[in-house]
Amino acid sequence: MNVEVQTETVAAEQTVTVAEAEKDIRPIALQVRDLDFYYGKSHALHDISLNFPERSVTSMIGPSGCGKSTLLRVLNRMYDLYPGQKATGEVIFDGQNILASGVDLNVLRSRIGMVFQKPTPFPMSIYDNIAFGIRLHERVSRSEMDGRVEDALRRVALWSEVQDRLSSSATAMSGGQQQRLCIARTIAVRPEVILLDEPTSALDPVSTARIEELLDELKTEFTIAIVTHNMQQAARCADQVAFFYMGKLIEVDSTARMFTNPREQQTQDYITGRFG
Amino acid sequence: MEISARQPLPATKKNHPAGGVLVVLGAIIGVMAVGGWKAFAAFGPEFLISAVWNPVTQHFGAAAPVFGTIVSSALALVVAVPLAFGTAFWLAALAPPAAAAFIGMAVQLLAAVPSIIFGMWGFFVVVPLIAHYVQPTARHLFGHVPGLSALVAGAPFGTGLFTASLILAIMITPSITAVMRDVFVSMPTVLRESAYGLGATRWEVMRNVVLPWSRQGVIGAVVLGMGRAMGETMAVTFVIGDSNHIGWSLFAPANTIASLIALEFPESPAGSLKLASLMALGAILMAISFLTLWFSRWLLARGQKAAGG
Repeated sequence: MNVEVQTETVAAEQTVTVAEAEKDIRPIALQVRDLDFYYGKSHALHDISLNFPERSVTSMIGPSGCGKSTLLRVLNRMYDLYPGQKATGEVIFDGQNILASGVDLNVLRSRIGMVFQKPTPFPMSIYDNIAFGIRLHERVSRSEMDGRVEDALRRVALWSEVQDRLSSSATAMSGGQQQRLCIARTIAVRPEVILLDEPTSALDPVSTARIEELLDELKTEFTIAIVTHNMQQAARCADQVAFFYMGKLIEVDSTARMFTNPREQQTQDYITGRFG
Repeated sequence: MEISARQPLPATKKNHPAGGVLVVLGAIIGVMAVGGWKAFAAFGPEFLISAVWNPVTQHFGAAAPVFGTIVSSALALVVAVPLAFGTAFWLAALAPPAAAAFIGMAVQLLAAVPSIIFGMWGFFVVVPLIAHYVQPTARHLFGHVPGLSALVAGAPFGTGLFTASLILAIMITPSITAVMRDVFVSMPTVLRESAYGLGATRWEVMRNVVLPWSRQGVIGAVVLGMGRAMGETMAVTFVIGDSNHIGWSLFAPANTIASLIALEFPESPAGSLKLASLMALGAILMAISFLTLWFSRWLLARGQKAAGG
């Protein structure tokens, strides 16, 4: 009991310091407040408070099972697909608590897009993969759709590779191409936030590098939250890094500070490879 | 025995276990063809188009039971596929887990009911219902509508194509449902979540992602049901009415290949032309099954090409 109280105080203090640190940099796109998450009876996230500054990359790191992917799935309410999973607390997005009942999940997920660990092209043509998401939310003319598809593919640097075979199946592409297609599919819907769940863990180093370059461009327009197992990736891509351990947010700070001078011993141990 | 069972299967094509399946299949087709040869020789191509089945004049034709088989199976599919699809979709996507487990089990139980039970139930329960209520009502409603009146014509016996199709539909719905549900459930979770992640509704996920992904399995399920409907013997024999006759009326007694074979086989002496005709009918039934399978594969290949695969 005593321990828990202590942790809570620490977490609260951190939130304050983080909030202060971020205040003069960028407005907050997503604000997580006092979030607890349960898989049935198992308590997976403990009192998380974390801000995602607009148009920057926030990377979530930590050992397997620490809750980083769970947090990501709270942010677009993906957990809602599964009965028995429950979140309490608040996630403020555009002035609204998205955990509240009555939120239109289809609209929410069009504004907060998600890219998964493995490339997940739909069993349809390359063109239709991109058009799929757009068609869900908008009625656009054929010529406008062509433009949107081309634009999305250009932004993930895929256009030159696939412009001659837009009508061929997306499942025939290479893994790296498929993952870029999935990112293109997500941004084609014009979300404000993009969640990426270990997007390069199934890819080779060259494809990984291309995705990381891509993130750097995308953050000029989107708020990005990325879960990664790869510390170097976090160091390379992120503006802010959050370290999770056993369902708790241990520390969050600018990338430079996290990797050079973290406040917590646990963070230090993790990033220097002593565990995880 | 123990030792030889542990040894890896020989890799040569000659000894491959799948070869055994082909041998058995070839043998069945051979027996049917040889046994039925006499009928083909006696009647020539007319055997396929003649609707006469007259043991007295020793004149036999396949057209009536072939017609009965195709029409009853097709009608059964028309009823069963939408039902099975809806049930499978509900079980896989919409139902609360407890209800899905319970109903899913009930569906599997229904699939395990022996066909003779369906036959008896059909004879004692469904046939009187059709005779007393369904056909009279249908005649009342459509009896004077040009084009439809022929479909409901005839005396209300209760037995006939419609009753057989209904029983067949009830029998094949559970197995089609079970296969379709497995197909829907086996879709990778991340693919489903990807679609939800773009803001798709349940129906949009089903329509645009799950269905295209599971097309092959769904067609497989339908073909499986169709195969069972075409070959189903006992249940149909009880309710089809045993009449070798081709007509428009859905309520007229008819025969399928399987029911005709079951009914006539005991009365066909070895070496008779009648027995040969029944064997020839068996060969035709197998041919129809293969054609159906081939057609579904063709549909599938064409569908994949259209989807850019």
